[in-house]
Amino acid sequence: MTGAQTAGLAGREADSVAASAVKAMQAEGKHAEARDRYAELVGRHQRRASRIAFHYMREAAEADEAVQDAFVKAYSHLASFREELPFEVWFTRILINGCLDRIKARTRRGRWISQMPDGPAGERDFAERVAGSGPSPEDQLLARERRERLSRALFRLPERQRSVFMLSHYEGCTSREVSALTGLNESTVRVHLFRAIRKLRALLAEGPLAEKLREKRRVNP
Amino acid sequence: MSILNRLRLGAHLDDAAIAALWAEGRPAHPHLNTCVACRNRFASFSSWLENLRADARTEADENFPTERLAAQQAQIFRRLEAAERPARVIAFPRFAEPLTSRSSGASRWIAAAAAAGLIVGVGVGQVMNLRHSLTFRASPVSDGRQAVAATAAGQRDPRLLTASATRDETFLSELDASLSRPAVPELRALDAFTPRAGDQAR
Repeated sequence: MTGAQTAGLAGREADSVAASAVKAMQAEGKHAEARDRYAELVGRHQRRASRIAFHYMREAAEADEAVQDAFVKAYSHLASFREELPFEVWFTRILINGCLDRIKARTRRGRWISQMPDGPAGERDFAERVAGSGPSPEDQLLARERRERLSRALFRLPERQRSVFMLSHYEGCTSREVSALTGLNESTVRVHLFRAIRKLRALLAEGPLAEKLREKRRVNP
Repeated sequence: MSILNRLRLGAHLDDAAIAALWAEGRPAHPHLNTCVACRNRFASFSSWLENLRADARTEADENFPTERLAAQQAQIFRRLEAAERPARVIAFPRFAEPLTSRSSGASRWIAAAAAAGLIVGVGVGQVMNLRHSLTFRASPVSDGRQAVAATAAGQRDPRLLTASATRDETFLSELDASLSRPAVPELRALDAFTPRAGDQAR
């Protein structure tokens, strides 16, 4: 067993203990103590949750709201949490379902509301214009372009393939964990992962021109 | 080892096979141990995927710095606190308690009191009305009351009754005459020529 796996197991045990304690405190009506104990769980899972939500939503503000909603929902439904399941799996399922609901709502909105145009050269806020001590502007631009291509390619994957790829590759979940999170068979998870990788590779191998043409064809068939 | 397996091991792995191996988490394929070219391709494929992961993680972490996570946590606990605080319900002053929640005994008393009040009210109203009418008959104060008194007296005295009937007859005949004859003298001649509906019928 590797160090990371041992740490993971210890973390899971700690999660389970904390979740049970919060549940008991809620039942006794000790709400302030329950919240304090819940902070431990929030602190442990917040970064990972934000990352997952961001991969789904592709927008920091919406991802932030999705994470908040998931933590609030998990706290208020903790009574239905079964200790034999890892808290992480239960919580991530709540988060992913919330993100998928938001994406559906966004798609519905997008049908009726036209988007605001972006600022010049894709800049998003003032902070991006301020000179920093990090990589050169050229490197930043290239990295941004690469990420945008990747996210565009990811969004062209079917929803299940995207979920499986993000969870297993970005978050390092095992096939069994992804299976528990998505409700798919372990073998189906592996098949989706394989297909996702193959398709991503094909999409990213396409030149930017081909990609733009395909996008244009999609918008104006 | 069969020839087929030997041939399979001898052939290079294609992209799909490499992706399948990576997805299954089995990099220890026998062909990879023997073929350097496929091992290199597998390594480059793995590093490509690692770069994807690193890029995605960096992007997410850039969007969620520590300050943002702290603000997010504070917001989560504000929402939890707000959800646990009981909602402030402003009760309507008269009906702070719903009427249906009162005991059935009390509501029965209220209904009985209302019915008794109604009966008493109607009864008192009737009595008052009767008293008023009696008072009017007893004291002729105003003109109307005098007329009423005169009528009552006429019923008792025949002389008074005759005088009243004569006065009425005079008044009615005067009214009839004024209506049957035009008031404007210039039109009287014209009126005389005009046939009347009553004359035609006869």
